[in-house]
Formats: sequence, structure tokens, C-alpha cells
Amino acid sequence: MGNLNVWAPRVLSLLRIVAALLFIEHGTMKLIHFPIPQPGVPSPLPTLMVVAACLEIGGGVLLALGLFARPVAFILAGEMAVAYFTAHFPQSPWPGVNQGGEAILYCWVFFYLVFAGGGAWSLDAMMAKRR
Amino acid sequence: MESLNAWAPRVLSLLRIVVALLFIENGTVKLFHFPVGETGAPAVLPTIDLIAGWLEFGGGILLAMGLWTRPVAFILSGEMAVAYFMDHFPQSFWPIVNGGDNAILYCWVFFFLMFAGPGAWGLDEVLRKKTR
Repeated sequence: MGNLNVWAPRVLSLLRIVAALLFIEHGTMKLIHFPIPQPGVPSPLPTLMVVAACLEIGGGVLLALGLFARPVAFILAGEMAVAYFTAHFPQSPWPGVNQGGEAILYCWVFFYLVFAGGGAWSLDAMMAKRR
Repeated sequence: MESLNAWAPRVLSLLRIVVALLFIENGTVKLFHFPVGETGAPAVLPTIDLIAGWLEFGGGILLAMGLWTRPVAFILSGEMAVAYFMDHFPQSFWPIVNGGDNAILYCWVFFFLMFAGPGAWGLDEVLRKKTR
């Protein structure tokens, strides 16, 4: 099954794009109430949530394009770690109870991208080839 | 930043273990009501939930150990695709509205694991080294 490895950099790019698009949606929900407003969030948004939403939209777009994938992924992994430990963990140590499973997934996918890079299909890879 | 690549196989294993542990929890919530019962689930589990629960529990354990990573990840990725299109997608097109972004993330992480394998730390790696 080792010949599957050939496809890994390309599938990594697909994973990166899908995760980034889902992540953007979290930002648009907070900031512009698209496709729906985030339930249970006060209006106007607290500063911390505005910062989070800007990171999610801006960082998500960069990550979807695969531009500066490693530093962007590093920042977003940090954002998700903060989100987990400030918003979810105080409610319960179990992700199944505190609803933080998704934040953990994002955090680790992004953390992996810091080390693995953007994959085969990304602006980073295009720029590296041009050099 | 290319020197970060040296750590990628090890971080891949960490990602695999974390995702598998979270996934096991989805199974234990359904099967054993641990740490809580699933909200809105009927008291007697429908067969399809039972199958899903055991796939999540058993497949999650294999994946956490890194045993038969690629075929297991393939099956679980398929399970999550089915879960998304059966449970979530009919409610809304938008993942954030239909509550299915977890399922999408699992699906794609597992799909990637099928191609990338278990990473540096996994029973697959131990077995491969021994059979050489």
C-alpha cells in the first residue's frame, strides 16, 4: 500500500482546503452573520470575538490558497488552543461534553500543517517552483 | 522552514492519536453513554447507530494504536461521509447550520491518513521494521 504515499501531498492539500473553508465559515458567522448568526453570542461582538473572527476569515483565506501556510497554520493552531481552553475546557474535561472536539480537531490539523506545509497544490508550492 | 519537515511524520502520529481518541469518545457516547448519553438519541439504539458506534469505538482504538492504519482510515472516512450526507446535509447546505463540520473534518483527516499512513509512531511502523 506504499504507492498510496505518492498521493499524500495532493490529499494533504485537499484536507487543507476543506478545513480552511469550514474555518472561514466560523469567521463569517461571527462577523457578518453568514450563513446564520452564531447562536448565543452577544451583539455587539466582544473584542476577543472580533479578533477571533478576523483570524478565522483572514487566516482561513490564506490557508485555503496555501499562501504562507506554515506561519498562518501556526497562528491558527494557537487561536484554537486558546479557544478550547477559554471557552470549552472550563465546562468539562471531556470534549464530548464541553463541545470542544471541533476546536481540538482544527488545532491539531493546523499544527500538523505547520510541519507538513501546504502540500502539492498551494501558492507556496508554486512560488517554490518558480525560484 | 523546510527543516520543520523532519518532524512531520511524528506530528502526523500525534494528529492521528488525538483524532482517534476524540473519535472513540463519539462511539462510547453512543454505546455506553460515557461520558454522557448522546443528546436526542432514542433509548434503544437503532441498528445503524449501533454499527456506527462500534466502528467509532473499534476503529478508533485501531487508529489510536496505528494498527492497519490505512484500511481502517478508509472505512472510517467512508463512515463519516455517510454520516454527513445522511444526518447533516439534508438539514442545510451550510456545514455550520447543519452541524456537520465535525463529520467533514473527521472524513478528510481519515482520508488523508489513508494516503499518508500512520506516521512515525504506530504499530504499523513497529511491525514493518520487525518483518524486514
